[in-house]
Amino acid sequence: MSDEIDVQLFLQKYKGRYPQGLEGDAQVRAELAVPFIETTDADVRETSLSDDQVNSWLEYAGWNLWDFILGRASEGESGLIPRQEYETVSFVQQWANYPRFVRMFTEELGVDGLLELATTSRREVGTKVNVTRNWAASVCPILGRGIAVDLGFHGAEERREDLEEMIQFGRRLQHGTWGGGPGFVSARGFQVPVLDDDVLATLVAQTRPLEGPARDSFRKFNAKTELFGFMLHYDCRAGMGDTGPYPLPDGRFAIVRDHFLNETAYPWSGVAEGLPYCVTEVLVFPADKVTATVNEIMTTFTKPTNYLDYLVEGVAFARDRIDTPMSELRVLSDAEMDAIAQKCQKGTMDMYKTLAKKSRDEKIRDGIMVYTREFLQSHALKVGLWDKFVAEGFDTMTADAERAWPVLTSGKAAEVLTPVLLFGKGFPTVHKENQTA
Amino acid sequence: MSTETLIGTGINVFTSDVHAVGKIRFLDSPEEVLDFIDGPDVAETIVISRGGTTTFMSPALMSGVAGLITLQGAPESHLGILSREFSIPCVMSTAFTEGIQTSRGETIPADGTTVRLDVTGDKGQVLLVSE
Repeated sequence: MSDEIDVQLFLQKYKGRYPQGLEGDAQVRAELAVPFIETTDADVRETSLSDDQVNSWLEYAGWNLWDFILGRASEGESGLIPRQEYETVSFVQQWANYPRFVRMFTEELGVDGLLELATTSRREVGTKVNVTRNWAASVCPILGRGIAVDLGFHGAEERREDLEEMIQFGRRLQHGTWGGGPGFVSARGFQVPVLDDDVLATLVAQTRPLEGPARDSFRKFNAKTELFGFMLHYDCRAGMGDTGPYPLPDGRFAIVRDHFLNETAYPWSGVAEGLPYCVTEVLVFPADKVTATVNEIMTTFTKPTNYLDYLVEGVAFARDRIDTPMSELRVLSDAEMDAIAQKCQKGTMDMYKTLAKKSRDEKIRDGIMVYTREFLQSHALKVGLWDKFVAEGFDTMTADAERAWPVLTSGKAAEVLTPVLLFGKGFPTVHKENQTA
Repeated sequence: MSTETLIGTGINVFTSDVHAVGKIRFLDSPEEVLDFIDGPDVAETIVISRGGTTTFMSPALMSGVAGLITLQGAPESHLGILSREFSIPCVMSTAFTEGIQTSRGETIPADGTTVRLDVTGDKGQVLLVSE
């Protein structure tokens, strides 16, 4: 590719060829050498991948990320948390350290154990072992590979075994969740109806009509818990997750929404004291008035955009601790919802004031901890590996991350990141004949 | 009788027939945000932030400002998502045709200017209200 590109064209079409959304998905998939973004019982067990398999996955992941990022039109800078800075250093950190820990998962659980772990998102709500992590646990570190290559840390052909390990880890999680077929949400029509029918039916059965003041209170609860989830997770979407839309009888559909409020993984978690680990809402809408899509990181977008004006039924549950059994999920009363909303408002303000006093570097380092832990910690906790991960240096900043930090957090970051994120340089392909290490 | 003049256009986050009217306040630091929410007339203010991230504006969201304007970002960015949940009209990546210059050379209406946000369509419009 020439260094000279038509920027406007590349913002309209990935690599100047593939548009956003369903049309882009279809075009990219039609041109892949092999349909390796789909998973089968056999191919998730493969331990060595061909160039065609790897490159097909990389090509699709590159478009998928572009499609996703473009929708946000670069959020721009934050006056409080330097999120783009910590995210991009985290990608490099993940690429440097995830493969070692992912191998521990595979060695400990085997492929079947990973598949079983990923069925969690079908059977449970209020869990971070979810579709967002299926995507992030592989795409984000592999984007880190692209940044590392761009920064000259290593060549695209190096660390091939790590690349294959990470691709297969993500595919195994996807396969466990979906049971086969496309693993990416963008290849599933931007729909995430992941819960098994019996689980969904139990949740939906407890919704109640929402009108007038009751609906206003529910919406305030939704807004304040969601905002606190963002704050607790350093302005990233790890604190929330939607699944659905789920078609219901009588021309309605449901969205099931998690807001993670008491993640104890972080030094600032005390701000969440007294809150449940997660609150889960079921939101019911009339299908003839609202349509919904859910993206790769489990965020709902609707037509019309003012979807909450059409909310007709709802219910909120609490999962009190990360290991509370689903059988002990409990419906929140109006009074408890109000109390939780108030605690979230106070917690948001307390954390804001703390963050306002922290240095930029402190916040970047905190953010790296969040972004590196978030995609694997819940999985490791669930299978009893987390303590081993910590003992083995999971949180230790790698030399590559330290080396990337000055570049990715400076005014020159855009020079590196724009081509990587938007112009197709984030997922360089491989060719075995060129392999050097 | 008041008149209205279009001075800014951006991307509308969610459609609403509720037209936010208020006086402009540009918030450029966490300290300014905290001072602002402790002051009067929060609910009659339309705040401007530079970026589309949500945590920076979280006190303003919770305090119930009349409207939000950003100079960067899009509806799928975090502030877009949260403004929707709080039902606070929000116009993002707004370009103004008149106003004052920020320290970085961006054109925005001066603090205290009365504007109305028209959020009935895909494009969000910022209208200067003159008595």
